Amino acid sequence: MRLTFLAPEAQAPCSGVVVLGAAQATAFAEVCRTLGFQGEEGEVLTLLAPPRPLSRVLVVGLGAATPDAPALRRIGGAIAVALQPLAGGVVRVDLGLSGEAAAELAYGLLLRSYRPLRKYRTVADPDDPYATPGPQVIEIVTAHPAQAERAFARHDAVARGVFLARDLSNEPANILGPDAFAERAGLLRTAGVRVEELDPDTVPLPLLATVGRASAQKPRLVVLHWDGAQDRSQRPLVLVGKGLTFDAGGIDIKPAAGMEEMKGDMAGAAAVMGAVLAAALRQAASPVVGILAIAENMIGGNAMRPGDVVTSHSGQTVEIMDTDAEGRLVLADALSWACATFKPRAVVDIATLTGSVVRLLGHHHAGLVSNDDRLAARLTELAASTDEPLWRLPLVAGCDEYLRSPLADLRSCTWETVPDVDIAARFLWHFVGKGVAWAHLDIAGTSDCAEDWPLCPKGTTGFGVRLLDALVGD
Amino acid sequence: MKISFTAAALPEEGAVAVAVFEGKQLSPAAKELDDRSGGTLSRALAADRFSGKAGQSLLVLAPAGLKLDRVVLLGVGKEDAVDDAALRGFGGAAVAAVQSSGETTLNLLVKDFSAAQVAQIAVGGMLRSYRFDRYFTQMKKDEKPSLKKLVLVCADVSAAKHAFAPLEAAGEGVFLTRDLVSEPANVATPDAMVEAAKSLEKLGVTVEVLNEKHMRKLGMGALLGVGQGSDQPSYLVVMRWQGAKDKDAAPLALVGKGVCFDTGGISIKPAAGMEEMKYDMAGAGAVIGAMKALAGRKAQANVVGVVGLVENMPSGTAQRPGDVVTSMSGQTIEVINTDAEGRLVLADALWYTKETFKPAAMVDLATLTGAMVIALGNEYGGLFSNDDDLAKALTAAGDTVGEPLWRLPMGEAYDKQIKSDIADMKNVGGREGGSITAAQFLKRFVGETPWAHLDIAGMAWTKKDLPVCPKGATAYGVRLLDRLVADVYED
Repeated sequence: MRLTFLAPEAQAPCSGVVVLGAAQATAFAEVCRTLGFQGEEGEVLTLLAPPRPLSRVLVVGLGAATPDAPALRRIGGAIAVALQPLAGGVVRVDLGLSGEAAAELAYGLLLRSYRPLRKYRTVADPDDPYATPGPQVIEIVTAHPAQAERAFARHDAVARGVFLARDLSNEPANILGPDAFAERAGLLRTAGVRVEELDPDTVPLPLLATVGRASAQKPRLVVLHWDGAQDRSQRPLVLVGKGLTFDAGGIDIKPAAGMEEMKGDMAGAAAVMGAVLAAALRQAASPVVGILAIAENMIGGNAMRPGDVVTSHSGQTVEIMDTDAEGRLVLADALSWACATFKPRAVVDIATLTGSVVRLLGHHHAGLVSNDDRLAARLTELAASTDEPLWRLPLVAGCDEYLRSPLADLRSCTWETVPDVDIAARFLWHFVGKGVAWAHLDIAGTSDCAEDWPLCPKGTTGFGVRLLDALVGD
Repeated sequence: MKISFTAAALPEEGAVAVAVFEGKQLSPAAKELDDRSGGTLSRALAADRFSGKAGQSLLVLAPAGLKLDRVVLLGVGKEDAVDDAALRGFGGAAVAAVQSSGETTLNLLVKDFSAAQVAQIAVGGMLRSYRFDRYFTQMKKDEKPSLKKLVLVCADVSAAKHAFAPLEAAGEGVFLTRDLVSEPANVATPDAMVEAAKSLEKLGVTVEVLNEKHMRKLGMGALLGVGQGSDQPSYLVVMRWQGAKDKDAAPLALVGKGVCFDTGGISIKPAAGMEEMKYDMAGAGAVIGAMKALAGRKAQANVVGVVGLVENMPSGTAQRPGDVVTSMSGQTIEVINTDAEGRLVLADALWYTKETFKPAAMVDLATLTGAMVIALGNEYGGLFSNDDDLAKALTAAGDTVGEPLWRLPMGEAYDKQIKSDIADMKNVGGREGGSITAAQFLKRFVGETPWAHLDIAGMAWTKKDLPVCPKGATAYGVRLLDRLVADVYED
């Protein structure tokens, strides 16, 4: 699907499929009234038999006279859904929008028109809403096409990052194991990203090595460098993603029901990869380092055991309690290494980390824990403007009592009935360098949606890419 | 334990407690004591790891050079950053250190603190001295608390007394609540709770009791459905304190969940831990205690306290999963899980309160969801609100008194989770975001009234001693509500 912007005077005579606002659809005002069209935000009236040469007319409600950016994106999303049944062709969209507004609408349209992976279906399902390819070209009419193009260029870059993250999280673990994940990260080189792959045994990153050692594929740390198009001297923003390509739970194996979802336990790393890709595609001015902590948590004769003590990269010793609390282990080493290696202006980690965040916040907010009020406030603000809502949760010093081990410096978790979302965040805090502004995003409830969202079809969401891209800024 | 204030000189005998700042820095009173002992305390300090951090204590028995039996050194943190929490902790830790030691009197040497600070220290001591031991019939004498008197040796006695008076009233409210919450369910029945509320009449609180017949007439099908399996009757109790100059001014309403015992009903709970369900009335307990605190200090505000009192039992008459009940608001509810009963009680209590009193704001308190404990543990109460100003005021009040709240989100997307196939809503919205969907449920019964819901499931009871609360019932919420009224609603 291609999105373009046209000036009103450049319009060819109307034909084929058109999408109109109520103000533009004067010819259909009578029909709209008869059919009870209210003009509410995102309301779409589809006329399948309009007068020739039109083949299909969609009248779209804007809700307000001048909808704000989030509303425009949602309206774009609603248009994308309504256009899904088309099999190719050109669609003209005329809602009388300004350049900026047209770009926002296009952004929502693009995000919602993501097509979940269908490559593993050898026989097409006629009931599949994605059975038709959708429109080929969408032309959006605006008084300021050049302005719209400029604003949309950035959105387009970010959307490509989002789609990458959604695709990666959706891939089964036999296709996207640690080897393939690292290989996919290597592809970012074509966008101008420097890609480094580190062996956890040689760095060393003992926690990462421990988590991944029962798998047939080696764990690794992949480091993505976007040095910044202009200011290379700036201290980088460091993004750290949990990349468990599959999480069986290890010796503390998970129950069978629902375990297949654990192919998405690398959604944090996928979001980091998407954000770095977006930064590169839009030639972001400031430097970013993306760190993917990649491993597969499996069961085997050489697997880590509950009770094992491991000396982490930071030098702190960790008693492994539950082998299924592995995400915090790989992140601990990645955070500690990142703080020691770079002088980050801030570090943000993102991970499908705990079930308890889902119990608390459900699927409509990701959890945010931070040691820095300014960073937390900035993230919360950006979360609202990028439609990726966060809710801040406390960094609880009292958790240290439960992280105390009789044997080592720290335990990885506790069996006591205290909130694991707090415990996990506090555990990570111990591995963040002194004085480093740090935020932790627990996306266990938002990396996947069980029903369609305004800007995302049911399935993997790529949650975090838009938010992190906004944090990278210019 | 009796609390008094004196300006007398340093006592010669008995037990004393003094403050030490972080970095082993003696407070002036401690320094004076140290000088008198010829440096004994300094030597003890040097020899121990005690550094003066808030919460630390060091007991020095029979220090050489003094006739005192024991000197308790208590850390209050950095000298330039001593907050109220540290001061309350100081008072609490001092009491805890000698409560069962055989000493009958403890002198706190606090004359270098301001009157307001002395009052905080005193209330810390008071709150920590609480005991619930009425069912120990065989307790040996040396196990019983010996401490009878807490004496604060301070500079300005009358100012300290004046500052302590309202805090003491709040403390009395806390003690009533802790008693109610600690009592087992065969004692703290709905009837007994009604009596506890009525006991406030002598403080000038008007108490009105609605029995099942009244409630049936009002159409409170949600509340009545919860109690219908129990032999104990259900009640809605209204307590009014009209302290404002303008008696017609819209009141602040406090609404409490009072499930005197919660077996879960037909959706019965597992046996392990079920005994804890005696404190499922802690929300109602906190409202009764807060009313006592406000009346006790003659708060200049109109406040109405409403508690829904029921017992949730399985029996031949009990409510079943799948039942549809009609609430007083007219909205129908499909009862999916009979163990999500607190919100049913609150639904009718909130609606009744809103309709009857047209309150300026409503705050409900409830041990509502297990998800809350899983989420915020025992560190914060969960706060949900439709009003940012009210939420901020509550958070600020909680921080001031050391009963912290953490705000959690609400929104349309969560509200969808409680759509029912048969009724206007169902009483559970799935495991995920379980505390939030419970709050969304309540929100459907508050109309446009500024409202906040405090989920105190993780805060009503403590399994370990806290600085100002021995293990057991905490009465979380009483001091917070009292403070909220003082901060926002008084003339």
